[in-house]
Amino acid sequence: MASRKEQKEQARARRLAEEQAAQLKARRNRRLQMLAGVLLGAAAVVAVAIAISSKNKTVNTTSDPGKAQQHQIDRQVNALLAGIPQNGTELGSSSAPVTMTYFGDLECPICRDFSLTGGLTPLISNEVRRGKVKIVYRSFCTATCNGPGQQVFNDQQVAAYAAGEQQRFWNYTELFYHEQGAENSGYVTEDFLKRLAAQVSGLDVPKWQTDRGNPALLSQVQADGAAAQAAGLTGTPTLIMKGPKGEVPLQAAVPSYGQLQQAINQVS
Amino acid sequence: MTAASAPVTRSLARPSGLTIAIVVLCLLGIADAGYLVYVHYAKLTVLCVGGHGGQSSCGTVQSSSYAALAGVPVAVLGLGGYVVILVSLALRGEVGRAVGFGVALVGFGFSMYLTYRELFTIHAICEWCVGSAMLMTLLMVLMGVRFLRGAS
Repeated sequence: MASRKEQKEQARARRLAEEQAAQLKARRNRRLQMLAGVLLGAAAVVAVAIAISSKNKTVNTTSDPGKAQQHQIDRQVNALLAGIPQNGTELGSSSAPVTMTYFGDLECPICRDFSLTGGLTPLISNEVRRGKVKIVYRSFCTATCNGPGQQVFNDQQVAAYAAGEQQRFWNYTELFYHEQGAENSGYVTEDFLKRLAAQVSGLDVPKWQTDRGNPALLSQVQADGAAAQAAGLTGTPTLIMKGPKGEVPLQAAVPSYGQLQQAINQVS
Repeated sequence: MTAASAPVTRSLARPSGLTIAIVVLCLLGIADAGYLVYVHYAKLTVLCVGGHGGQSSCGTVQSSSYAALAGVPVAVLGLGGYVVILVSLALRGEVGRAVGFGVALVGFGFSMYLTYRELFTIHAICEWCVGSAMLMTLLMVLMGVRFLRGAS
């Protein structure tokens, strides 16, 4: 039988053990709470960072069939251009060894064919995305001057160049070609140009509107046209591939991806 | 000297293997991100093993719109992350360990997102970025162990 002193010591040891267990449990609980806090906090920070990084590349969904189709086009254009650097009317890495100059008219149906069903899309997805080729777009009035006239041409081309002030020239141009109307139908109105601007993901529309009044952009459109005439060009799209081994004009009206690749190989 | 203070003195004199591993990974991360920051501001070409038709794949990634977050180059953010993790090792107590673990978790999460973008959006891989993502993954694991273990 344990003495009174031993019983006291046993009780004390038991109490100490219980206190230690309680302390351990409290510490474990506190650490678990802290772990949950750290995990939640980190997830929140990452989510915000991803949202900022993905900004201007997301597209809303809608149940309206017309708008759904429009959003489908937006998605397509965003997917094509996401991550590719843009600078004014230039698309692709500025250090790309090959440059394709693309003389175009936004109302030109053959330009539309080249952009949407010809070799341009795979060229952007591959060579431009990989930094081998950059594309420089220049304005040359063809279809528009045969119909609505020079003023409409200037307005539409400047509208695209103004989007280029926010590195979205190619988004605007691709959307324009996707939504191009019938030739000489007069579809290029102020509302049409504004609607396209509203469709361009991440475009600051009020700034775009202000930039449209910048005389430098109109001068650029006029200079492009003068350069095309000086070079003796007669139609759009006119494509010129230039690389370390020289310069090659594309002969086909709507060059295929294979023909573009052939020209790239010739100049690089 | 009391018996309770002896382990503290020993841990100050000799850092644990876990701490050494974290320090080494942080220094590697600082070198990796520091190089990308230097190249960015010096406007130099990134040294890269992979390439796509005459242009390095690192160049493609670094010139993409995903290379900056709200105008800040992601390499600068990565460099900051490694420095904060390293400094957190000097902070005593659970708060210091939680801060280090939290930063490593954020670095890991964002690195995974950027790797996804490289694979499925940019279609180019930058070895420096992949290297940093691997370092962040290891750091996240080690900082997690350090946090849960409660060791300094």
